[in-house]
Amino acid sequence: MSYEEVIFYFVAAVTVLGALGVVLTRNVVHSALFLILALLAVAGVFILLSAEFLAIVQILIYGGAVTILILFVMMLTRVRDMPQALDGPQRPFAALAAGAFLVLSVLAALSSDWPGETREITVVPFREMGEALFRDWAVPFEVASLVLLVALIGAIVLARGEEGE
Amino acid sequence: MVGMGEAWLIPAIPAAAFVILLLVGKYLPRRGDWLAIGAMAAAFVLFFAVLIDLLGEVGKPDFVGVTSSIEWVRFDLPSGLEFELRLGFFVDQLAVVMLAVVTFVTLMVMVYSTGYMKDDPRYGWYFAAISMFAAAMLALVLADNFLLLYAAWEGVGFGSYLLIGFWHEKRSAAEAAKKAFITTRIGDVGLLIGIILLWREAGTFDISEIFEFAEAGGYSTAYLTTAVLFLFAGAVGKSAQFPLHVWLPDAMEGPTPVSALIHAATMVVAGVYLVARLMPLFVVADPIALNIITAVGLTTVMMSATMGLVATDLKRVIAYSTINSLGLMMVALGSLSVSAAMLYLFAHGFFKALLFLAAGSVIHATDRQELSDLGGLARRMPVTAAVFAVGALSMAGIVPLAGFWAKDEILNVVGDSQNFVVYGFLMLSVFITALYMTRVVILTFLGEPGDREAHQHAHDAEPVMTLPLLLLAGLTVLAGFVVFDGVGEALGFPGGIGEFVFLEGPEAFHFPWDVAVLSTLSAVAGLVGGFYFWSGEAEPARRAGELFRPAYKILKRKFYMDDIYQWTIDRVVLAAGGVLAWFDRNVVNDTGVDGSAGLGVLAGYGMKFLETGKLPNYALAIVTGVIVLAIVFMAVRV
Amino acid sequence: MIPIENFLVLSSILFSIGIYGVLARRNAVLIIMSVELMLQAVSINFIAFAVYLYPEQFTGLIFAIFVITIAAAEVGLALGIILRIFRNKGTSNVDEVDMLKW
Repeated sequence: MSYEEVIFYFVAAVTVLGALGVVLTRNVVHSALFLILALLAVAGVFILLSAEFLAIVQILIYGGAVTILILFVMMLTRVRDMPQALDGPQRPFAALAAGAFLVLSVLAALSSDWPGETREITVVPFREMGEALFRDWAVPFEVASLVLLVALIGAIVLARGEEGE
Repeated sequence: MVGMGEAWLIPAIPAAAFVILLLVGKYLPRRGDWLAIGAMAAAFVLFFAVLIDLLGEVGKPDFVGVTSSIEWVRFDLPSGLEFELRLGFFVDQLAVVMLAVVTFVTLMVMVYSTGYMKDDPRYGWYFAAISMFAAAMLALVLADNFLLLYAAWEGVGFGSYLLIGFWHEKRSAAEAAKKAFITTRIGDVGLLIGIILLWREAGTFDISEIFEFAEAGGYSTAYLTTAVLFLFAGAVGKSAQFPLHVWLPDAMEGPTPVSALIHAATMVVAGVYLVARLMPLFVVADPIALNIITAVGLTTVMMSATMGLVATDLKRVIAYSTINSLGLMMVALGSLSVSAAMLYLFAHGFFKALLFLAAGSVIHATDRQELSDLGGLARRMPVTAAVFAVGALSMAGIVPLAGFWAKDEILNVVGDSQNFVVYGFLMLSVFITALYMTRVVILTFLGEPGDREAHQHAHDAEPVMTLPLLLLAGLTVLAGFVVFDGVGEALGFPGGIGEFVFLEGPEAFHFPWDVAVLSTLSAVAGLVGGFYFWSGEAEPARRAGELFRPAYKILKRKFYMDDIYQWTIDRVVLAAGGVLAWFDRNVVNDTGVDGSAGLGVLAGYGMKFLETGKLPNYALAIVTGVIVLAIVFMAVRV
Repeated sequence: MIPIENFLVLSSILFSIGIYGVLARRNAVLIIMSVELMLQAVSINFIAFAVYLYPEQFTGLIFAIFVITIAAAEVGLALGIILRIFRNKGTSNVDEVDMLKW
């Protein structure tokens, strides 16, 4: 086993552990903390895939902004004070569906005949990717910016509350 | 120069007047009656233009008529067949006679109506309806193909429905309009079947092409006989022949000028005209068709004449006399004599319109139409009485009025071509006709008034109503003389009007003294008998009525025809309708329509519980769907 | 070197865990977090395909960037909605918000 594989299995184990923690833990704040763990591990997976830029973005946006936001909302909606169970009544079905999906997905991944090289990573130059993003993908990029803007304005409008509230 | 090519204008002008009256009639001064009359006068003038043009053409060899048509519909079917409908107008001598009667009588009736209908709240609508009726009738006369003919035929029926039911607030008028429409519809269905049968074999609706096809032996005899009998059914309905005559007496619920126009001079003779127009088909068909026409005509003549003897309503008596006349025309057609039938039609148009309009004046003046309420009016309304007497004598067939010549011609051809039974019955009908015409004249104008108060206020009508009466009376006196070649030649008709229009050969009009004398004797006997029975206290009539009580009762009940029909409608038609209604209500409506709707409601009610409104359930459904689709895709790929 | 299947299996596991979370959890915030896990799995897939199979194209990488962008927008908006619901109904449990039915 090469050291790369060792690192991969370690990172993958952390990712799965974090993810399971997110969906299984009884404490919502722990759940959020497990999410941070999983996201950071995914950033590690990105690095293994030689996409360092995305790993950095992942840590900044997810590890920073998104989880903070989630924790804020948890605080505002007083989730911890709620006495009800965290899981709904259809938990067995959920497990069944997730398991079925997992089997199907893994089967598909292993049985597919992928074109091209599947053993070696070709390192993508960071600079060329930036050029492609701002040249060939300029319009989708701008549209995505617009989506972000609209979503933020919408979120503000929704969260701000009625006049006099 | 306007000629036969422009004949289409004759129906088009009244039709245009109808449309204008319908749209803007109530904004016009006098509610547009001048427009309707002007349109009709224009049609009448155009008739002369067409007549003059026709006179120039008719001498040419092989002349059969002038047709002008336009292509209406045309398909090229994929199978290579082409289907073409032409729409056009056809003018020949026959059509010209009808044009003369229709345009002139309609014009007279319209002028008369300006007086008669003066105070009616729907005065404008009346003229619109009459214009529509006239347009349809003229189109019917001029149609060169069966489709246009049928459309116009139904238009005429619809106009008649509107006008009979003109005072539809009155229940009896509404009922009569319905009765007339439905009864004639029965015949119309026959006409339609006949047209379809003719078209199926010949592949054309054009009348002259169908003639050629039939004469070339295109139809088998049995097929053609069936077809023409169906066509004749249409004529039976429209021309009030036995057994569909029952609507005509009831149609007297309409305004009297309408009775004069529709139920005397124009619409009811449409059936006669139809048979006359299609005579070439009847000639080719089995002779039994003609025998049926004769038999129906003769039955009609005898039934109507006898019913006329006992009818107590002034207008109804004249209505029975109309049915009587129509039967006579049918007998003439059954004897293969188009000319005699058309001559009678021509004369009848004038004197019957005259009778109705004069009766209208009586009703207008007295507001009564029961014969028992009338009487002695000759002193109060001398002009009306005089013209009515002229009309009645013409109907009775007294020399030298128009009715005499026409009836004489019919008796003549019947005597030549039918057996003596038919001839004898017709002679008898002449006697009965004279009898009841005398009766109606005596009971209306002579003797003592039945209703003194009405009698006090009666007087001759205003000039606008009297003038048409006088014109029609003049024509009643003079029209018969067209049978003499000398008269026709003097008017510019080559070989006389008789040869030009009515009679195919120069020697066709003959005047055998035996027939003339016999018919005159019958008629005079009728007159004398009428005076004997009904003058003064009418004692002999009462005694005769008691003596033949059962016969009198049968006549009073109109041979129980109405009762039979009513029984049939109640017991058969309505019973069958009840079954159908039950089927419709229970099976079609409750089970079919409501049932399927109820199934939908039930299904929806059950299914709505699938919608829990809970997000996790929906999410689970989505995931399940994805998994199922994934399995399907993998199974297909492998 | 690590074969591509390893990454695909990892992303499958991650995605399935996300599915389980979305379906089993009641609280809207927890569901959002599970959705984030699913999005992460998708990103891994995109990047893996990009660097293994089509290194001359950048489509996968750029899509991963867009996924992150849209995810950020989605989280912001969804949390706004959750706050709104909480204020109006006093709960953030999705199975108690079921007015949209018969």
